[in-house]
Amino acid sequence: MDYHRTSVDDILPEGQRLPGRPGLDPNAAGHRSSAPAMDADAFHSASTRILTAINTVIDGKAEAAKLALTVLLAQGHLLLEDVPGVGKTLLAKTLARTIDCSVNRIQFTPDLLPSDVTGVSIYNQATRTFEFRHGAVFANIVIGDEINRASAKTQSALLECMEEHQVTVDGTSYRLDEPFMVVATQNPIEMEGTYPLPEAQRDRFMARISMGYPDRESEMEMLETHQASSPLARVTAVVTAAEVAAMIATVQQVYVSRSIKEYTVAVGRATRESALLRLGASPRSMLQLLRAAKATAALEGRDFVLPDDVVSVAEAVLAHRIILDRKAASAGETPQSVIRAIIAKIPVTPEVTASTNGTGRPGRKQASAMAAAPSPKLPNPR
Amino acid sequence: MTLAPHRSSGSDAGPAGTEEPTVLSPGVTSRPDGPGAQPWVMGTAVAVAVAGAALGFNGVLRGWAWYSPVFSVVLSVAFSMAVLRSLRARTWLVAAGGLVALIVALTFIFFRQHSIAGFIPSPETMNYLGKFLRRASETVLAESTPVAPNAGIVMLICAVLGLLVILIDALAFPLALPATSGLGILAILVVPAMVKPQSVGVLGFVGAAVGYLLILGCSHWFTPDARTLADTARNPGQLRRGAITAAAALTVTLLLQPVIPGFDQGTFPQGSRLNPFGSATGLNPMISLGTSLRSPSGEGRITFATNAPTTPYLRSVTVDNFDGDSWSPDDRESTRQTGTGRIESGLDTAPTELRVITAVNTGQYTSPYLPAPYAPEAVNGLTGRWSWDPATLSIKGVDTNSRDQQYLVTSVTPQLTAALLARASEPVRGIPEQFLRQPSNVPEVVSSTAKTVTAGAASPYAKAMAIQRYLRSTEFAYSLQSPVQGGYDGNGLSVLADFLNQKSGYCIHFASAMAVMARLEGIPSRIAVGYAPGRPTGATVAVSGQGPLPEFEVDARDAHAWPELYFQGVGWVAFEPTPSRGLVPAYATEASLPSGASTNERNDALTPGDGSTPAPFPVPGTVPAPGAGTPAPGGTQVAQALYGVGAALLLALLVASPRLVRSGVRRRRLRTAARGYPGATAGTALPAWAELRDLATDYGVAPGASETPRHFSERLRASAALGEPDGEDAPGQRAAAALTEDFEREQYGRPGGAGGPAQNADSPDPADSAAARIALVQASLRANAGALVRLRAAWLPPSVISGWRRALPRPRRLLARTAQRTRRGLAGSWGKIRSSVRRVRRG
Repeated sequence: MDYHRTSVDDILPEGQRLPGRPGLDPNAAGHRSSAPAMDADAFHSASTRILTAINTVIDGKAEAAKLALTVLLAQGHLLLEDVPGVGKTLLAKTLARTIDCSVNRIQFTPDLLPSDVTGVSIYNQATRTFEFRHGAVFANIVIGDEINRASAKTQSALLECMEEHQVTVDGTSYRLDEPFMVVATQNPIEMEGTYPLPEAQRDRFMARISMGYPDRESEMEMLETHQASSPLARVTAVVTAAEVAAMIATVQQVYVSRSIKEYTVAVGRATRESALLRLGASPRSMLQLLRAAKATAALEGRDFVLPDDVVSVAEAVLAHRIILDRKAASAGETPQSVIRAIIAKIPVTPEVTASTNGTGRPGRKQASAMAAAPSPKLPNPR
Repeated sequence: MTLAPHRSSGSDAGPAGTEEPTVLSPGVTSRPDGPGAQPWVMGTAVAVAVAGAALGFNGVLRGWAWYSPVFSVVLSVAFSMAVLRSLRARTWLVAAGGLVALIVALTFIFFRQHSIAGFIPSPETMNYLGKFLRRASETVLAESTPVAPNAGIVMLICAVLGLLVILIDALAFPLALPATSGLGILAILVVPAMVKPQSVGVLGFVGAAVGYLLILGCSHWFTPDARTLADTARNPGQLRRGAITAAAALTVTLLLQPVIPGFDQGTFPQGSRLNPFGSATGLNPMISLGTSLRSPSGEGRITFATNAPTTPYLRSVTVDNFDGDSWSPDDRESTRQTGTGRIESGLDTAPTELRVITAVNTGQYTSPYLPAPYAPEAVNGLTGRWSWDPATLSIKGVDTNSRDQQYLVTSVTPQLTAALLARASEPVRGIPEQFLRQPSNVPEVVSSTAKTVTAGAASPYAKAMAIQRYLRSTEFAYSLQSPVQGGYDGNGLSVLADFLNQKSGYCIHFASAMAVMARLEGIPSRIAVGYAPGRPTGATVAVSGQGPLPEFEVDARDAHAWPELYFQGVGWVAFEPTPSRGLVPAYATEASLPSGASTNERNDALTPGDGSTPAPFPVPGTVPAPGAGTPAPGGTQVAQALYGVGAALLLALLVASPRLVRSGVRRRRLRTAARGYPGATAGTALPAWAELRDLATDYGVAPGASETPRHFSERLRASAALGEPDGEDAPGQRAAAALTEDFEREQYGRPGGAGGPAQNADSPDPADSAAARIALVQASLRANAGALVRLRAAWLPPSVISGWRRALPRPRRLLARTAQRTRRGLAGSWGKIRSSVRRVRRG
């Protein structure tokens, strides 16, 4: 066994045992959380608790922490990509630990098998039946360390789980727990003997975060406080899984106006039309961008999405999906810089510009567009 | 599906359009999926527009007889194009059909006798066409409005209007530019607007306007423009906007008219005409005389230096045949003698003669006739070949003209006295018959006037004096305008009759009246055309053998005509019947009256309206002041003051207009913000936000197009424009933040949901109103801005100016789009032609 099936007991401190794993709900439609939404104050206090807990462990990475929480609440998966030793795994572990839920960690290696991830059916001599042994993926939060070290086969086994929130073994589908989040880490420097994530798989991660080095003060602070013991040991769960489910439900109810949708679509189209890009953003990424924006809005304490929310997550959500044109890459462009340039060019919403002319009548544009649509001139059927 | 065979046969037949037999079957056009009534209605609209605008030609052409051919041509062209279009002919085919219809209609109306079968043009038609065109050009050149509707000019008008129908139709229909088609209608209106003194007139304007509105309305009815949909519940106020636009256009027109000088008099002085064939000075001096006199700037300046005691008249040519519609000089080429070194003056011996030397420089003056003082004995220094007429002593170029000639004229002036002339009572002998011949068909008024005036005068001289006295009496007024207005600007016997009735005209009328009346009384006469004595330039010219001589100048405004009468034993004697012009010779001056002082003070008689002040013999000592009419100065002063006030108002309006626009926009927005949109639950925050954006723009913090509202608001609050966040401008900061929040909630929040602005819905606190917040923001923006920025924000608000600047290239873009569309259409039809040709060749 080359992967560590870390049980919850290993991570959680003494005395905090999880209740039984919630049963699979066959009636759950899609990934939509069936939990009731919580009110704004409760949401705010829960999110503050989680972020505060993470920030005590990782110094100077409040942005990364917030983005990680955003992805969790938007029901996405997170890809942490950076050089070794900047706290990728620490961030993943901390996030997992602040929530009172099941956590599994998979250390990816080249000889890791798909069944190790998903689970396997074993013949039970006693009952003379096949029994399904759950794989590592059956947890609320799955930490996939160095995901690019596994073979493509194993990587794609994870794929189905991430997208479908279910595992199919021997023709039987098993639903995964809600909330479900995969936090994968990846090392971009040491690429020898690795299987870089293909585009298709990268597209399934909602966001990619580069941790980056901490600034001087944060690094000093880290050396001061983390000398003696691991900071992780002091972290306790601050919210329950049910609360997280409720938070997710709250995020789902955040309102997205038509102009925000138009703006999102405009951003997506611009990436596909950009001369700097070989591959633009996929429609799925548009969906995930909007979900991330909704989570951001909820974290900001709003029940509707602003363009600012879209802009703030656009880089993290889109940069790892697009492929630069070779010329643009040699000209020193990065995916991040291209996304920034595209965002800077797109007018925020047509209505905002239209409202400057004084009347700003809502729906006027649509009305005229509708009126223009049916042409009174019928083409001659020659 | 029953239509399918018909259509396929039509398309297979190709562009030739062999569908003629189906034209008249009514079923074709009434089918629901055919082109329907559109071609017919549009064709009617175009025809109404062109025919309506053509109403304005009444006054350019006399009477209404010309209208029926014009109307039938316009109608037939429009009708044939509608027929072709209802058969779904191609666009270019429709235009070609219209052209063919135009040619057929013109041939049928004007050349029925000289064509094949009455409507097909033949080579003979072309001959007559050339004749008609020459006639038209003569009309344009020679006559002043209103002209008689002769066939040439009517045919020209018909042809042009027919072409305009095709053009307007093409613009309004296939190019789908109905508004631009107004240019064609404008082209029609331009002609009467320039030529007629009272401009287009009500009839023409109303006709053109009705037609244009019809075109616009019909094209909108058949192909509605989404931007200008008619009044609907969704898009109200269309009618109101239209009314406001029309009112503004009307106001501007009425305001501009009094401010622009000369607007009400037309671009061209009354009675002058456009001359498309270059300057035709002097071909028929009689005709160009009025035009020359009315020309606002003196063209054709001639300078001359002379040693004569009194400034001589310069004579170009004489007119002696008074028959016919239009008098013109008789060149008598057969009896002309070439060479001007020695000219036989043919004068009878006069008691004393004065030899005068005159050095003339003609400069730009171009005429076949050479201006020279009477009576020339020799002309030296000319270039080219010249000839002279023994009978009239007019000098004419054989192969050259008077342009850029410098020459020395030696002339003989007989010293005449009244006594000498009074003695010349013998009957005339040895004078060519042409100077004696009485014109036929002399109008009654002319002969009766001549009889009345000369009654009691015995000698020819006495008769001549009587006629001159009569014409110079206060009964007659000198006026350049009244012949034009009265329609007798020109020459001929009928004109003369009009002149004697109206008793107002200029030199040509006076001169011809005296010449004709003298001839009726048996005195040989002719009309001399040339220049009245000019003005001294103050310079001197050294003439060889004479020393420095004073220089004089004349130009087109000094053009003049005067009668010359023959007295037996004395010769040709010039008289001056025109009041306030020229010099009355001493021999022609009444002893009892003060001697004719030079009345040729600059422009004294040329100022329009001056003819109302009859001053044939100004009292010596009183200087005839320009514009001598007494009531005029007061009136002009008031008018000038009014113009000044109007101009100042307009300037003020212009300066204030960005400010007016800005404050108007702000008022409307805040009003909307205060009451919300009609039919909408919320909607107060959007206009308020727009106002906040514009306010910030005015004070130098412009929002970017891709900037989110929140980011912009934060930037505004962080900038120095709104002051320190916690300083005394905090209310402004808070107001900006609140406006942003409201806008975001309304723009992006759940519509009408729980997230709606509670304070707006429940507590109508005036301090929380959008207007109050905007005022707070504005106050702190003003407080923190420099004086220059404040001034700019008030008078040249960048939010308005940048909008205007953005709108500037819009017409150019529109033009480019039109050009592109036209190019595509042309390429498409070219491709179709090519493919059909290929098909024909293959098949």
